[in-house]
Amino acid sequence: MPQDKTIKQLCFLTGSVSWVLLLVNVLFLARQGFMGEANAATPYLNNVLSVVFILSVFLHQRTHVPIQRSAEFTSPLWGLFVKGGLGAYVCLLLHIGYPGLNQYWVNSPYLLDIFYQVFFGFLVYFLGKAFYTWRQFILYHKTKDVQSQWKWFEILVYLSLLVPLLNVQYMSHVFLILDLGLLLAYSLYMSVHQRWVAFLTLDKKWSCIFLLTAVLASGVLFANFLFVYADSPELEVDYTDNPFILLTLAFAFLYALVSLLVALFSLPTSRVFEQRNADLLSFQRLSHTIQQGQSEDEVYKMLFESAVKATGADAAWLEINETTHVDTSEFTGNPIDTQVQEAVKALMENVQEQDSSTPDSVYVNGDLNLLPEFKSLPSLYNSLLVVPLVSAKRRYGVLYLLLEVEQGFDPDSISVVQSFANQTVLTIENLRLMQESLQNERYKEELKIASLVQDRLNPKKFPTDTWFEISTYAQAAKEVGGDFYDYLQLSKSRIAIIIGDVSGKGISAAFHMAQMKGIFHGLMQQDLLPDEFMIQANSALSRCLERTSFITSSLYIIDYEMQGVSFARAGHCHTLYYNSMIEDTFYFQTEGLGLGIIRDASYAKRIHRLHYDYNPGDVMVIYTDGIVEARNSRQEEYGEERLKYMLSQTYHLEAEDIKSAIINDVSDFSNDILYDDQTLLVIKFKPRQPIN
Amino acid sequence: MKIKHTITDNTITISLDGELDASSSVLLDEELSNPSIMMFGKILVDCKNLNYISSAGLGVFISHLQRFEDAQIKLIFFNMQEKVRNVFEILGLDLLMTIVSSYEEAVTIAND
Repeated sequence: MPQDKTIKQLCFLTGSVSWVLLLVNVLFLARQGFMGEANAATPYLNNVLSVVFILSVFLHQRTHVPIQRSAEFTSPLWGLFVKGGLGAYVCLLLHIGYPGLNQYWVNSPYLLDIFYQVFFGFLVYFLGKAFYTWRQFILYHKTKDVQSQWKWFEILVYLSLLVPLLNVQYMSHVFLILDLGLLLAYSLYMSVHQRWVAFLTLDKKWSCIFLLTAVLASGVLFANFLFVYADSPELEVDYTDNPFILLTLAFAFLYALVSLLVALFSLPTSRVFEQRNADLLSFQRLSHTIQQGQSEDEVYKMLFESAVKATGADAAWLEINETTHVDTSEFTGNPIDTQVQEAVKALMENVQEQDSSTPDSVYVNGDLNLLPEFKSLPSLYNSLLVVPLVSAKRRYGVLYLLLEVEQGFDPDSISVVQSFANQTVLTIENLRLMQESLQNERYKEELKIASLVQDRLNPKKFPTDTWFEISTYAQAAKEVGGDFYDYLQLSKSRIAIIIGDVSGKGISAAFHMAQMKGIFHGLMQQDLLPDEFMIQANSALSRCLERTSFITSSLYIIDYEMQGVSFARAGHCHTLYYNSMIEDTFYFQTEGLGLGIIRDASYAKRIHRLHYDYNPGDVMVIYTDGIVEARNSRQEEYGEERLKYMLSQTYHLEAEDIKSAIINDVSDFSNDILYDDQTLLVIKFKPRQPIN
Repeated sequence: MKIKHTITDNTITISLDGELDASSSVLLDEELSNPSIMMFGKILVDCKNLNYISSAGLGVFISHLQRFEDAQIKLIFFNMQEKVRNVFEILGLDLLMTIVSSYEEAVTIAND
């Protein structure tokens, strides 16, 4: 943040300036002492300047040291030691060199004062750095309570700066000593927040112990110097009078000490924590494999590695589909004794024979050496853990783990391996599901294409003519359907119109429907009569339609010069007709068997032709069973009666409007739920017109 | 769809209960494809509770029709609901198959 940067720069500036001014003031005071002359310097100015310096350094560190979120602790500790702690060693050098320096080289009465100010500078820097490094550690994985405790601690410690500022000799006031004592206790309490140590691995713990020792040593050195020079008569100032310095030093020291002890005592248990962490990581890896698009092989391998790591198995192998998929020879280089493998398998078969009720449960044996078949083997293995990879539906494989020690698998590691196995099964199943859904997606795409192709097979537009109007509607219940209609212009004044429905639904129906259209176009080139067409079509279909399939169809040949329509119905829905002359709506009741039901010449007896002379204004409605068998929520069918009623109400409209009225009524009735393909053609005849 | 059969002497009575659609017609096909059914001389189909028959269901009967005819097995439907009968009639099956109104009638025809 730019604001932080400004604060840092400002603190750096005030810190340097106040330190220089402090040094100058101290030297002037010393000069006063030697010369006896009064000058501008006053002892109180020391207090003010030192407080300004301390504040600058601490605030600088406050913005400089970030509040940590990652589990990286050695580098801040290293930073604290190098930048802060080494100051103590510089002071040590100065301390050792001081007598010699004073005697043989500069021999100045001011040297000790200068040295003491340098020491003070290092000390404050070290304290600031330590204070905020510890803050970072205390607030790692913080709770709300810890955060507010720290906030108050910080405020109280800063308040102790008032003591030098008000120039109070705290040693002379009991309540102040008491307050400071309480604050010291508070800092001891703050030192108990050692959550971060738990997150260290064993190696990290060792380096932290080393660094903490070094920091502690620096603290001890600083404290030592502070008290050695305290009350020294040659010095103008004594910073032991400043309780802030004492408090923060105590806190820095205490926290380092407690951390060191906690880290030391948690050394023996850290392996366990590390193991748990590793298990957790393995778990995450296993569950993340799907997103990373890994193959089943990789998932199995991951399971195997994780399980071997979690149990520390000496030998192990994973069996998928009765063959060894992976074994520990890959890591150790030692192939697993096939005799051992066979003995284990024989043992498992034995176990399953004895207790067939739980074939998919985990098997543990901690005393293989007691079994005769293992005694004879040269193997060293004494513990066996067998974990099957099973889901509710199927068995994927079996994981075998062997240890040399007896009773080597504790319940904890068994349950960990079991959860690995469960997670693996889940992952594998999800992988397969995903592949399946991809496959389905492809099928869907192909169905969409099939649907488009089929849609193009049904003519959208009939030849527009002044003799009649025709309006069509077709809707498949699934992507592709078995309904069809088509037309063929036979001559200038004659048109053949066919409608049909293939039994069944879906792709097979769609194929037969296409076939039927081919037959229609092929046969009608010969200008057959409707019944002749049906006989020939039946014969053609008999050779290619499967036994359980049949087709219903009606063929109409409209001759608009003769004003007549002749048609044949092969098992298809009855034709609905409105006669404008007698003003009546009715169904043509003709007989005729569906195509493909009787597959020999006797079919000819089952089909009939009807001829009807139409009048201008007559309406013919042809449709498939999807219309009359449309159902409402009470499972009632739309029915022929309602369709007839609809036409009797709408015959005066244009063909397009009659169609819309019927379709709307059907949709209302069935609540737009489509059980079957629906096709509807409305033909309205017009007055005879001269042929051009 | 529930399919039950009762056997008396030379006759098997298959009663259909529910809707005979694409999925349930597979069950019916299995029933009718069973070789043991060819041992009976008469197959009576009770359609009293048959509420709906799809083209796939009709297809099953049609596909077995020729086989039964060749083996001189009589196939007789009875107790058929009006709307189901209508489906048979539209398709022209009423002239091809024997459809009667009651069980007694079916037995009489079967014994002719």
